[in-house]
Amino acid sequence: MPDTLDRTIRFGSNSGQPMTRRDGIAKVTGAATFTADNTPDNVLHAVYVPATIARGRVTSLDVAAAEAHPGVTHVLTPANRPHLHGDPEAKPTMFSFRIEVLQDDTVRYAGQPVAMVLGETLEAATEGARLLAPTYEMAPPRVDLDRAEPYDVEPGGFGRPTGASHGDIDAGHRAAVKSVDVTYSTAPQYHNAMETHAIVAAWDGDKLHLDVPTQALSMSCAAYASFFDIPVENVTINSPYLGGGFGSKAVPIGPNILAILAARMTGRPVKLMLTRQQMFGPTGHRGATRQRLRLGIDEDASLTVIDHDSLSETSSFDDFHEPAAGASQGLYAAGALRSVHRGARLDIGTPGAMRAPGEASGSAALECAMDEMAEAAGMDPLEFRLKNYAETEPGTGRPYSSKALRDCYLQGAERFGWAGRPLAPRQMRDENGLLTGWGMGTALFPCPMFMAEARATLRADGSALFETSAVDMGQGALTALAQIAADSLGLPVDNVEFRAGHSSLPDGGVAGGSGHTATAGGALHAAGSDVIRQLGEMAAADPASPLHGAGNASFVARHGRLYVDGDDSRSEPFADILSRAGGADLVGSGSASRPPETAAQYAMYSHGAVFAEVKVDPDLCQVQVTRLVGAFAAGRIINPKLADSQLLGGLIWGISFALHEEAHHDPVTGRIVNADFAGYHVPVNADVRGLEVLTVHEDDPHVNLLGIKGVGEIGIVGTVGAIGNAIWHATGHRIRRFPIRIEDLLKA
Amino acid sequence: MEISFLLNGERVTVADAAPTETLLDWLRERRGLKGTKEGCNEGDCGACTVMVTDATGRKALNACILFLPQLEGKAVRTVEGLSGPQGEVHPVQQALVDHHGSQCGFCTPGIAVSMAVAHADGDAATDDRLAGNLCRCTGYAPIIRAAEAAAQDPVPDWMNDRVDARGDHAPHRPGSADALAAAYLADPDAVLVAGATDVGLWVTKQLRQVDKVIFLDGCADLKNIEETGTDIRFGAMVDMNRVRAAIAPLYPSYAEMIRRYGSYQVRGAATIGGNIANGSPIGDNPPALIALGATLHLRKGDVRRSLPVQDFFIDYGKQDRAPGEFVEGVTIPKQAGPLKVYKLSKRFDQDISAVCGAFNILVEDGTVTAARIAFGGMAGTPKRATEAEAALIGAPWTEAGIAAAQAAMAEDFRPLSDMRASAAYRLGTAQAMLMRAWAEDTGLETNVLGIAS
Repeated sequence: MPDTLDRTIRFGSNSGQPMTRRDGIAKVTGAATFTADNTPDNVLHAVYVPATIARGRVTSLDVAAAEAHPGVTHVLTPANRPHLHGDPEAKPTMFSFRIEVLQDDTVRYAGQPVAMVLGETLEAATEGARLLAPTYEMAPPRVDLDRAEPYDVEPGGFGRPTGASHGDIDAGHRAAVKSVDVTYSTAPQYHNAMETHAIVAAWDGDKLHLDVPTQALSMSCAAYASFFDIPVENVTINSPYLGGGFGSKAVPIGPNILAILAARMTGRPVKLMLTRQQMFGPTGHRGATRQRLRLGIDEDASLTVIDHDSLSETSSFDDFHEPAAGASQGLYAAGALRSVHRGARLDIGTPGAMRAPGEASGSAALECAMDEMAEAAGMDPLEFRLKNYAETEPGTGRPYSSKALRDCYLQGAERFGWAGRPLAPRQMRDENGLLTGWGMGTALFPCPMFMAEARATLRADGSALFETSAVDMGQGALTALAQIAADSLGLPVDNVEFRAGHSSLPDGGVAGGSGHTATAGGALHAAGSDVIRQLGEMAAADPASPLHGAGNASFVARHGRLYVDGDDSRSEPFADILSRAGGADLVGSGSASRPPETAAQYAMYSHGAVFAEVKVDPDLCQVQVTRLVGAFAAGRIINPKLADSQLLGGLIWGISFALHEEAHHDPVTGRIVNADFAGYHVPVNADVRGLEVLTVHEDDPHVNLLGIKGVGEIGIVGTVGAIGNAIWHATGHRIRRFPIRIEDLLKA
Repeated sequence: MEISFLLNGERVTVADAAPTETLLDWLRERRGLKGTKEGCNEGDCGACTVMVTDATGRKALNACILFLPQLEGKAVRTVEGLSGPQGEVHPVQQALVDHHGSQCGFCTPGIAVSMAVAHADGDAATDDRLAGNLCRCTGYAPIIRAAEAAAQDPVPDWMNDRVDARGDHAPHRPGSADALAAAYLADPDAVLVAGATDVGLWVTKQLRQVDKVIFLDGCADLKNIEETGTDIRFGAMVDMNRVRAAIAPLYPSYAEMIRRYGSYQVRGAATIGGNIANGSPIGDNPPALIALGATLHLRKGDVRRSLPVQDFFIDYGKQDRAPGEFVEGVTIPKQAGPLKVYKLSKRFDQDISAVCGAFNILVEDGTVTAARIAFGGMAGTPKRATEAEAALIGAPWTEAGIAAAQAAMAEDFRPLSDMRASAAYRLGTAQAMLMRAWAEDTGLETNVLGIAS
């Protein structure tokens, strides 16, 4: 494979290999310890009472009944909740939300905690919580986005997305010889990691120890510290494994703060584990959207305008607007583009980032609208997209740091067998008479980097220890990062110990935005390089070394030895260099983040193309996705086994978005009526048929030192639209709301 | 109550088990075995799957809705017990690692156990055996590959738990139908627990206090399947995996519906008697049983009576069952006719039906001569479509001929609108199902599973 990266960056021996995950045996034997597996001595169990209305106030709680129940030790209500230093309305970190911590008797959404009970056993606390039997003064809940009053979102960082605009929008509309004006709906979705949120909190004086799953260790420490007025270094978080995160486990939620308060109040460790039903409350969700897309093309089928207006729900008290219209900003060349975000306040929990926030919902609408535009143009959908391929970033004109999207289209189409697809819908049936359709969508996801630090220790025996507070929530960080670390020292990965998942380690940054491998990996690589630099200085200055006198800059490390670059006859094992220097460990440190000048100079995205086949029962309108092929270009792939798995998982999330996931609010109480796995459907194995992922080779010398773009989220993007388009192709019906239901097709 | 069983090969005795203490809570909180995970606490996700072996063989079951008294005399193996005494990993565990079948790892213990049970059974129907295990990382393909890779490896000998022929029996755990009849007569307010796939949720989800309980699990004679030349009789405690296997050669369409209605774990716990007795309007067995003209056997003390299944369901939440009376079994004729069963649900597998329809229509010389049609989800009880049947009988078996029967369904049913489906959709679907039965009978392939993937 060609590799345009600086050859002194040592890759190949570990990175790029489909290594088996290092934590595999611990997980298959049940030895891997998740937060809720910790039950310290003397623990108190906490159970909170979720509001069963969406708007109003709590008028009574039967505290006496709860307190009288054997085993119940404390009942926390707004009337007696201990003082909390931090303002629950303040947002201590860039990704934080306002939280509900029993500050008053107001109910702002169903599922909001209205009281918390502590008990000697989980059963006692659970029964105590039931006995509280809250009564309410109820106001009519506002849970219908279509009846809400929209407003323009004022741009302002996380949750308040900026729109974009270039060219003359009105001229673009006027120039169109054909146009589409369509509105697509997407439903509220809940993360539902298999591991529910949980926390075990213990105080030692003013030091706080937490077992809690978090995607962002150091940021979480800062947030917790701010609420309890203690120095950040007094907070320790142990988060060795996450049973899935998907964006919901990045920042403290209200119930966690209450559990910590309870631990301080009682002087005992407190354990809280949310039930599956409570995962539909204060834990964030992907907000519903209504997206209007107006596209126009000229005689030549070139887009004259992309006009994307996204209305998204947020809570009555905080801002997280799904940045859906952003999905249109970086993808297709168009004479003019406008993306606008509007919001509407509902009596719901505040939405948040859920796997591929913005792009997943936005691309669902954009890719379907593009399909409608291609239909109007009388063109094959793939041909239409190639026609409007952006060679530079629309609007800014910046070059892409790399963009192998064309290869994705062609390789994906080839593998799928796209050629020969009839243009008109309802032309294909399988041997059983089922309507068959093929659709496609483009995938795009940005490549953010956060900031991370790492430490590398080369030991006298030639083995190494790498440390950073990285997080493995299933994506395989413990494995892929160890591969990068090993390569930075030119060691086999089996000689490298890797520690992560604890806040006492150097800051590993955030496992989010598909940027963790690039960021934490970059820091690990820098730490390893720092060790090699020091080792080179030692060797060059040591008359006893065969490397004596060689300039430090010209060393390379391979297989545990330091070589003079270009002269393989001069080398020495690491251990020998260290041994002569007294045998002490050699410690290096490093950090990674994206230089602002690079960020300004290049547009950076991962890309992909997804092709879907669906089959639809002509009488009952049941839909099955029978084939998905996704081809993705995401820079350097550190571990193909892990990366393919991330991408496949994304495709399945796309099926889920297109056909299954939706929370339903009861219009009377505002409660979510399908708040469990029986009613809220996520795909099971039986829902998933032929899936295939291709990774298209891509060298990116700009995105970061290691050329990594990230694969955690892009698999969803494009897939939803591909499935919607395939359903149209099978049936002739454009269903403009997701999930697509049987009854939509029956009525169409 | 005192319960005794084998846990990962070692005898354990629980002296003070509450009747509704779940195995999952006991394992995690009392026994300190934290490998078995809680993902939903209501049998939907499979993260808590354990292997339970009794005299009839081994099963994968959800520990979260399995009460300790149901384990008397049995053997339980958790994820910790899949590995051998010297820590040797089970072949399916190694295959899961090698094939990247574990990602975040939270569902993994349950998946490993489901796989190990299927592996020990030599069952290659991996898709079905793992259908009850959710993975939100959605790494299903590598999980299936792991199962296939391990299939040829020998079953480790520690997986063969030896169990007592039968456990210890107390009044709340009768050992026979006779003992049950006496116990229930003496205590007609007690809740009968068969497989606990429903009562389990009363406890874990509704937090109901269930004090008086009689566990039917020890009644070995209620687990019999008896066949004659003309009939097949299921004891009330025959689990749905066994019902499916017995029904498959007779009524394949019914058997396929059973495969879809619950996961392997749920079908292994759920019983045919429980599904009928609890009287749900959307229970999936009654429509098929009614269309087949099946007979229900009830027993109170020593008094037995039998009635058509359709007559058992009186109104929503009300069945023809006296205090102290219980379902002892159900008899299905073996040659009742060409039964077609259609289940429509939002998700194809393991979802509660919006509508479940069963059609048993005899046609001679192009004319319908007999028709038994029954639906779930269309009324407060499982119910026959008598008007539609009347319209069909004597009519030509043609698309035009069934139109009157489709229209008559509007007289038969006034379905509800709820979260699963609107009234109009339910009625339209019921009508479409008749169309489908006709189309299938006249040679059109309409089964969505006819798709080759």
